Amino acid sequence: MRATAGTVTALAVALALLTGCSTAPSTASSTVYVPPTDSAPAPAPTTAVPPPVAKVDVPTVSSALDQNQVPPTLAPQLIRVDSLGIDMAIEPVGLDADGAMGLPKNPTLAAWYRFGPSPASAAGATVIAAHVDSLVYDIGPFAQLASASAGTEIVVTTEDGQDRRYAVESVQTVTKQDVPWDSIFDRSGPGRLTLVTCGGEFDYDARTYLSNVIVSANPIS
Amino acid sequence: MHKSLKIGMTASALGALVALGGIAPAQADGHVAQLSVLHGVPGLTVDVYVNGELTLDDFTPGDLAGPLELPAGTYTVAITASDAADASAPAIGPVDLPLEAGKNYTAAAHLDADGKPTATLFTNDISQVAAGEGRLTVRHVAAAPAVDVLANGAAAITALENPNESVLTLPAGTISAAVAATGTTDPVIGPADVNVAEGTNTIVYAWGSLTDTNLALAVQTIDGLNSSPDGIPAGEAGLVATNQANGSTGLLIGGFAVLMGLVAAAVVGLRRAAAAQR
Repeated sequence: MRATAGTVTALAVALALLTGCSTAPSTASSTVYVPPTDSAPAPAPTTAVPPPVAKVDVPTVSSALDQNQVPPTLAPQLIRVDSLGIDMAIEPVGLDADGAMGLPKNPTLAAWYRFGPSPASAAGATVIAAHVDSLVYDIGPFAQLASASAGTEIVVTTEDGQDRRYAVESVQTVTKQDVPWDSIFDRSGPGRLTLVTCGGEFDYDARTYLSNVIVSANPIS
Repeated sequence: MHKSLKIGMTASALGALVALGGIAPAQADGHVAQLSVLHGVPGLTVDVYVNGELTLDDFTPGDLAGPLELPAGTYTVAITASDAADASAPAIGPVDLPLEAGKNYTAAAHLDADGKPTATLFTNDISQVAAGEGRLTVRHVAAAPAVDVLANGAAAITALENPNESVLTLPAGTISAAVAATGTTDPVIGPADVNVAEGTNTIVYAWGSLTDTNLALAVQTIDGLNSSPDGIPAGEAGLVATNQANGSTGLLIGGFAVLMGLVAAAVVGLRRAAAAQR
C-alpha cells in the first residue's frame, strides 16, 4: 500500500511538473485525474477511445498585446517612520550616468527603484533610498535610519492610497564594496522592504561615504 | 517509447527534488529546456502532439502555451486538425525540435511568406540585460513580404523576412510599435503600445496574412533577465560621518562655519546613536 501511494504521489508530482504548475501556480490542473492516495491501485494509463485527451494540462494564455504584457507596478508615494520623525515623499527613479541608483539631490526626498518590485508586487524587495546629507540641503531624515531598531514600524503608502506596514528586522552598516547588490535588488523571494542610505566613515577627499546603511523590514500582516 | 520512458523517470526525479526543496524550479535549471508554443495560424484550431502524445488539445489561434520544462533532447512535434484521432495525418510537421539544456525556446506554428502553414523553432535570448534596459525581439511569422518595424515612428528594424527575427536592447519603457512594408512607413499593423519591460525579453510576433487582412501582433515575455544597479551613492557632505577629516582640506570644502558646527553636532549625535546600538 505504502509503495503504491508513493508511486501515485510521484506520478502526481511528475504530472504537476509537466503541466508547468511549478512556474504558474494558479493554473491548477482540472483535467488530470489524481486519485486519492488510499484508492489503490492507480488507474492503468490505457489510451482512451477517440477523441484523445491530453495527458498534461499545459498553461495557455492569449498572446494578444492587451493581455500578455508586463503589467505596470503600483508606485510607492510616501514613507513614514513616526518613531524616527521620517515623513517623506517618494520619487520613482532609475539609474544615474554611472549605472548606480539615481537619487534626487535633495535628502528630504526618497527614491524608489522603479524597475524593481513595489509594495504591491507579489514578490521581491522594494528598494527605497535617500541621501543622508547634502552640501546644499543639510542632513536628511534618513540619517535617523541608523538608530532604527528591530520592530520599528515603517508605513509606505502606494499610489492606490493603501498603507503598507512593515517592521524592521535589521539595521546594518556595510562597506560599499561588500554590499550584495543582487540581493538588495532581489525581485524574488518574500515581499519585503529595504531602505538604503549612506553612513559610517566619510572619505573627505573623494567626498563619499564608505558604507551604506541598510534597513531590512518585513510586512506586518 | 524508450525515450518517453526516460523522460518520465527524469520528470519524477525532478519532481521529487522539487517536493523536497519546497520551491519551484528556477527557469535556469541546468538540466531542462523551456519550451513555449505559439499558435500563429489564423482560423485553425489544432491539436499538438509531442512524441506522438496529445499535449495541447484544441489550441486556438493567437494563444501561447507553456513554458513547459522538458529534459534536453529531441522532440517530434506534429500539429493536426483539432478533431484528429492521432498524429498520423498532421497539418504541420512532424518536425524534430532539438532542445538543449538551459535554453529557452518558442515553437511557433505559423504561415510562411506564401501563406502555407509551417513551424519554426526560435531560441529565446535569456541572457541578462543591463540595469534599466529591456530586450525587444521581433519575429516575422506572417504571410507577408519583408517588413520594417517602426518604433515611435522611426524604422528600428528594416527588411525583416519571414521566418526571421531581430533583437534589440532598448532603455526600458513603452514604445509605439508599427509594422510596415519594408521601405515604407504606412502601417500594416499598429501602431500599438509595447511595454519593453526592464530586465525582460519582450517578444513580439507579427502573424496572420496580409492578403487575408488579418495581420496582428502577438506578445510573449520572459522576465528575470535583470541586472542590479552598481550601488547607491546616498551622501556627499560627511555631515553624519563617524570619522573626522584629516587635515583641513575636507572641512574647507563646505566653505562656511555653519557646516563645521553641523559636523560636530552630527558626530556627537551619531556617536551617541552608535553607542546606544552597541
